[in-house]
Amino acid sequence: MRRPRPWHVAAGAAAAAAIALAASPAGPAPDPILSAAVIYSSLLVLLAIGLTLTYMTTRVPNFAHASSAAIGVYAALVVSRVWEASPYLAIPIAFAIAGATSVSLYALVLRPLIRKRASQAIQMISTLAFDLILIAALNILADHIVREYHVTAREFTLRSYDAQVGDLPAVLFVAPVAIAGIVIALHLALKRTRFGIAMRATIENPDLSSVVGINVQRVYAVSWLLGGGLAGVAGALMSLWFQGDPGLGALLIPSIFAASIVGGFTSIYGAVAGGALVGLAEILGTRWLAGELGSWVIAYRPLVPLAFIAATLMLAPRGLAGVDWRALGRRLHVARA
Amino acid sequence: MSLGPEATFLVDLLAIYSIYLIINTSLNLEFGYAGIPNFGKVLAVGVGAFVAAAVPGRVLAGMAGIGGDYIGDNIAIMAQVNAWLVDNTGAGFAVFFATLAVAAAVGAAVGLATAYPAIRLRGDYLAITLLAFGEGMRVIGINYAEIAGGTLGVQLPDPLAWLPQDLRFPAATVGLVIMAAAAVIYGDRLVRSPLGRLLRAVRDNELAAASVGKDVMRARTKTIMVAAAMAAVAGALYAFYVGGAISFAYDRLNWTFWPFMMVLIGGLANSRGVLVGTLLFVLVRKLITFYKDSLQGIVPFDVVWLDYLLLGAVLIAVLLYRPQGLLPEGPTPTIRAPGEAAPAPLSARLAAIARRLAGG
Repeated sequence: MRRPRPWHVAAGAAAAAAIALAASPAGPAPDPILSAAVIYSSLLVLLAIGLTLTYMTTRVPNFAHASSAAIGVYAALVVSRVWEASPYLAIPIAFAIAGATSVSLYALVLRPLIRKRASQAIQMISTLAFDLILIAALNILADHIVREYHVTAREFTLRSYDAQVGDLPAVLFVAPVAIAGIVIALHLALKRTRFGIAMRATIENPDLSSVVGINVQRVYAVSWLLGGGLAGVAGALMSLWFQGDPGLGALLIPSIFAASIVGGFTSIYGAVAGGALVGLAEILGTRWLAGELGSWVIAYRPLVPLAFIAATLMLAPRGLAGVDWRALGRRLHVARA
Repeated sequence: MSLGPEATFLVDLLAIYSIYLIINTSLNLEFGYAGIPNFGKVLAVGVGAFVAAAVPGRVLAGMAGIGGDYIGDNIAIMAQVNAWLVDNTGAGFAVFFATLAVAAAVGAAVGLATAYPAIRLRGDYLAITLLAFGEGMRVIGINYAEIAGGTLGVQLPDPLAWLPQDLRFPAATVGLVIMAAAAVIYGDRLVRSPLGRLLRAVRDNELAAASVGKDVMRARTKTIMVAAAMAAVAGALYAFYVGGAISFAYDRLNWTFWPFMMVLIGGLANSRGVLVGTLLFVLVRKLITFYKDSLQGIVPFDVVWLDYLLLGAVLIAVLLYRPQGLLPEGPTPTIRAPGEAAPAPLSARLAAIARRLAGG
């Protein structure tokens, strides 16, 4: 696989910013669909990066990943409605709680299973079981918030608690900018720091890395902390535009998997591309189809990630990151000539 | 005559037990013997229920000469159909069994479709793909009302409508128990057949099996089709038992995750494990529901979530500390060699496990 360069990242960030700008000051009332598309695809990028980080290390698809986002949603709810502070203060809290949850899944469940040489299917099922516990905990929390604070804690939105930039909600700018910042920070951390190099070495060959003195288990734990934490951040931002609910994870998980698979599942840059593609297709694609075929199409939006998974696995099973773009371009060039 | 709460409890327990036994036997074939992690088990179950929701009601309404919009006036039409069925028992049963056959056929077709990725993909990609297929089925069921009434659901004709109210559910349960027994015996026969041995060989070492000329893909496709047909029949039976179908009810938790849990607790790749695991699970869940009111005072939250917490934790504990399940996979039963001792009976083995668990 060719190594992505910093300017690739910069180009991606610029594209995200361009979309954000396109959504903004065109008129007094910008189309809310564009705002939704920008915010949703930014958050899907973040969720796909998180899932990819955990998958790259332990090679287990984490079926509890989307519930980490739901944790972030509830962090934002508690901060803004119970503590009555800015929902943006929930971001570090969401990162910490969701990251800690994700690390405990790795350390308490997956690491012992891997040590006992459990099959990959068993490891996947254990993440499903862990997800069940998280869903129960979130529901208990939601009930508690309703009872103690008389605050809506199911099917709620925090839109009215977001700050305004001109006529636009702040999250419309915060989400893509945060994604760009996180991707650049991850890129620098992986390429320039000792820990990043240790991490890349571990992903490539865990046995050899442990021979040269890298603490493989710590590397894994950090990647699970980052993966879960980023999902928590995505959740905290998500509630500012979309509806929050304890069942959010079940709705999100096919999209997150689709974004990660489209991206190749082992490349952070692939996850960025996959998240943007699936997110935009889900919102703008269904909207366009609804215009062509009729509004009944909108209800079938959840089939979009399924179509992406099927198409990727049939056409380019290693995802966007596995496609040799230069060879493809050359072949197209030859065909044209 | 009316049934007391205990009798109702028992009847319902046995019915749910029977339906899950069929599904779990099929999952055990796929996952335990063939090693295919079907995270989209709900797909085949839901398709079976959709067949039961869409076909027999229309057929019987046509036979009885009842007109009207099947989905729009469903409740009125079904009331007339069930009244008609009281005097036309034979037609009711004929349509019922024909529906099961159609469900099995459609289930097998769905199995063939899922076999396409299942013989090509690695474990994790396959699990994700099948999970997404299952979600897709639900989305279609909820939004395309012609199948199962969309968000409102449909009622099903009741082939037992001629029975007095109190006997209807017990009679249905007897029928379900007989069908579950047939499914378990069929599954047991199947895994003792050459196909079963081939599946285990493929699961344990695909390359070795292929190198001695075994057609791995064919064996897997066949297994998935048989398993999906069984699950579809179970889905149709469940819809008939409760007398209705609604797409929301066919979710990942109830028809994918719980079956995995039961099979894993009982022990993969043996039918006794399925019997025991399913019984334990169904019993615990039913008891929690039955004693809901008394439990509500003890736990400081809604008892619904106790299920999730308890069962999630139990499954993780089983995977970590007893990965082979309560009853581990035994050696393939074959004809006993001369002089070989008979295997210990099940009761003796269960007693041994109980002793070990008690720390003896």
